Amino acid sequence: MKRPIEKLVTGFSWLCTIMLLGAVFSITGFLFAKGYSSLDTRLIFGDTGILDALLLKKQVFNGLFPAIAGTLVLVVMSVAWAIPVGIATGIYLAEYAGDRVRGLFNLFFDILAGIPSIVIGLFGFAFSVFLHKNVSKAIQPCLLISSIALAFLVLPYLIRTTQVALDGLPEDTRLGALALGATKMQNIFYVLLPKSLSGIMSGVILAIGRCAEDTAVIMLTGVVATAGIPGSLLSSYEALPFYIYYISSQYTTPEELLTGYGASIILLAMCVVLFSAAFFIKKRLTYMAFYRA
Amino acid sequence: MRAVKETAVERALLLSTIVSGSITLIIFGFMLFMALPLLGGGKIFQIFVGSWSPGDGSYGILPMTVGTLAISFLSVTISFPMSIGCSSFIGVLGPKRSGRYLKRIVQMMTGIPTVIYGFVGIFLLVPIVRGLASGGSGMSVITAALMLSVLISPTMVLFFNDSFERVPASYLDAADGLGASNVQKLVYVVLPNAKKGIIIGLILAFGRALGDTLVALMIAGNSTQIPGSVFDSARALTAHIALVIAADYESLEFKSIFACGMVLYLFATAIVIGVRYFAFTDRETR
Amino acid sequence: MKRTCTLFLLVVLCLVFSGLSLSFAEPLDAFKGEKGTVKISGGTAHIPVMKETARLIMTANPDIRITIAGGGSGVGIKQVGEGLVDIGNTGRKPTDDEIKRYNLKLFMWAVDGVALIVNPKNKVRSLSKAQAADIFSGKIDNWKALGGEDRKINLYTRDEASGTREVFWEKALGKGNIAKSANVVVSNGAMKSAISQDPYAIGYVSVGHIDKTVVPVAFDGVEPTIATVKSGKYAVSRGLYSNTKGDPAPLTKKFLDLLFTGEGQKIVTANGFIAVK
Repeated sequence: MKRPIEKLVTGFSWLCTIMLLGAVFSITGFLFAKGYSSLDTRLIFGDTGILDALLLKKQVFNGLFPAIAGTLVLVVMSVAWAIPVGIATGIYLAEYAGDRVRGLFNLFFDILAGIPSIVIGLFGFAFSVFLHKNVSKAIQPCLLISSIALAFLVLPYLIRTTQVALDGLPEDTRLGALALGATKMQNIFYVLLPKSLSGIMSGVILAIGRCAEDTAVIMLTGVVATAGIPGSLLSSYEALPFYIYYISSQYTTPEELLTGYGASIILLAMCVVLFSAAFFIKKRLTYMAFYRA
Repeated sequence: MRAVKETAVERALLLSTIVSGSITLIIFGFMLFMALPLLGGGKIFQIFVGSWSPGDGSYGILPMTVGTLAISFLSVTISFPMSIGCSSFIGVLGPKRSGRYLKRIVQMMTGIPTVIYGFVGIFLLVPIVRGLASGGSGMSVITAALMLSVLISPTMVLFFNDSFERVPASYLDAADGLGASNVQKLVYVVLPNAKKGIIIGLILAFGRALGDTLVALMIAGNSTQIPGSVFDSARALTAHIALVIAADYESLEFKSIFACGMVLYLFATAIVIGVRYFAFTDRETR
Repeated sequence: MKRTCTLFLLVVLCLVFSGLSLSFAEPLDAFKGEKGTVKISGGTAHIPVMKETARLIMTANPDIRITIAGGGSGVGIKQVGEGLVDIGNTGRKPTDDEIKRYNLKLFMWAVDGVALIVNPKNKVRSLSKAQAADIFSGKIDNWKALGGEDRKINLYTRDEASGTREVFWEKALGKGNIAKSANVVVSNGAMKSAISQDPYAIGYVSVGHIDKTVVPVAFDGVEPTIATVKSGKYAVSRGLYSNTKGDPAPLTKKFLDLLFTGEGQKIVTANGFIAVK
């Protein structure tokens, strides 16, 4: 191969790297440069006292507190739905299912993972309208529906990471407890699961991040511009990503737009911290899992 | 007693598997059921190839399908070479340590929320594109495609990098033994051996671009025309769903978004089958 | 003499102040001891007024929750009709068919206009009805033809659920065609911010939403201002409605009542709409 061409290839790869890094740094840099000045407690609590807000004594207006609280509740609820079902399914597919069943279900979950989130949101919306008409007038797009739809969205991640983590265990780990007379179930719950905890945990964190950042599902299933702190499962709520979307087009004053930048920085930081934590915890958890076994 | 417990647990696990597996089918069933009134009566053809003008009773989703495909193709076209370049840098060409740092950064990039891309798109990219293109609002196919290409690149880079790493070390040792340069190793050993992985990564990234809502909704302009150039405003299927969800539930307009949902669902299925096809032939050749 | 004067003044002042505070406190007193939720959705022109009223009520009584969503007039009617929300807002009068189908009760608490707006950098300040129709149908597609720069016109319109769009389309465009190449935005707020960022844009927005980031365009020689809309000289006007399904529930009723009090109407005027009382 000729030298100039080699140089060209190397140069190209450097160029691509610089372009990608440039894009990322201009995106984050732009956010920070514009939103830096908005970062203080007023951004979150508005004119309300911090204690009053946290103790839910007073409602927060022109602050991000309700949106952050909404996002937190939403994430906790969706993950609470998804984790038991997702991990149970992952265990079944890895340990009990035959090849053909496993193949079929894996196809289903791959498709579910590939369905655009707005389609899942649309399903959630149609489902809530259906329930409203046929089951109870109290049901409508709300926190409950959103969390269930989001659980659908992250289910494949949990199933897949559980399954892969269990599949990846070495054969002698599998056989040890069985040889000592443990039943299949004991082997799974006392040996295999603790060993694959770090893998499962990374799936859980991925799921949390996905729930926190998703906008398409919630904008069809009950998120609104103004709602205050979520009051009940059947009420509408605010959420951070939707707030950013909403402000981006509907801001009325430059100050209001500034809170959009502030919200973006908070959401960005949250998601990046989650991902860094995933790497950190993964190491830690591996250690803990070994310790327990 | 113990056996009963064992069976009970197995049953519970099976039940949750069936529940989660049925979600995939239920979603499709719902889309089909809701779109049915629109598809019946010989109108099916008109829905998928007609234009969108509710005023005249035409609820075709062709402009949105074209918009979705245009934006996704363009974004993949932009990000594919960039991702190949980056993963080559991480895997082979760049200094080892900076490669590791780059990989860390790319991993973090996968965590950037979509809505942030849209938000920055509106206030940073749209004015730039408006300035570059003589005419047009800056909200266009190319704007959305550029932002999307940054969004899907990390996925691609990580995937490519994975398949680069799966090239057997012995091949690389052999190339080293023959005195190959890094570029020669990349071009003659790594890339050909990682071909299947690259194709799969490409398809997956395309799927990600097809399914994205926020970027298209926020910066593609949402006009209902079939885009004639990359500087034209366009509407994606996903954005169409988000915009029309507001319509009267009984109207045909509203039903049409379920047709959009079906098209997106079918795209997703095609992509999964495509990926599996390549992954499967991969296993056969080895 | 002097003392009686001062005393008299004091008494008057006291009366005025207590009167003022009464008129301030009275409407909100109605919410004392109340509990519950009011759900609002629909018209996007209404949102600023809704938000401020909600804030007033929720500050006075934290036990009341008021949720506000947009969506457009079409959504407002549909959702209130289906019982999904308590109040469905519309930027147009609901049709007789809609009123009959859902048994709607109408509350018109403000008058508003729909005005053409452009970016402040744009020099075009006046358009005839025919010109407006040609611009929106795509017949005129360059600002040069209207005395502006030689740049393409960037059209912005609203989605189909919008009441603002319906009023504009009916009264300003004479139900003329709107080009498919137009960018679509989802609310009055979004329209304003889009136009304020695009120097070659034209769109239409609720008169109440016009501020210094955009410039209203005179339509057929009439400036769209509060005065011209009020006097009826500016033709593209409409009422802002809040609708309920049947008679409103007690708390919803109190919310709507507040809009018609001095305090509520003050919020209406402060947001650039025309009070009805």
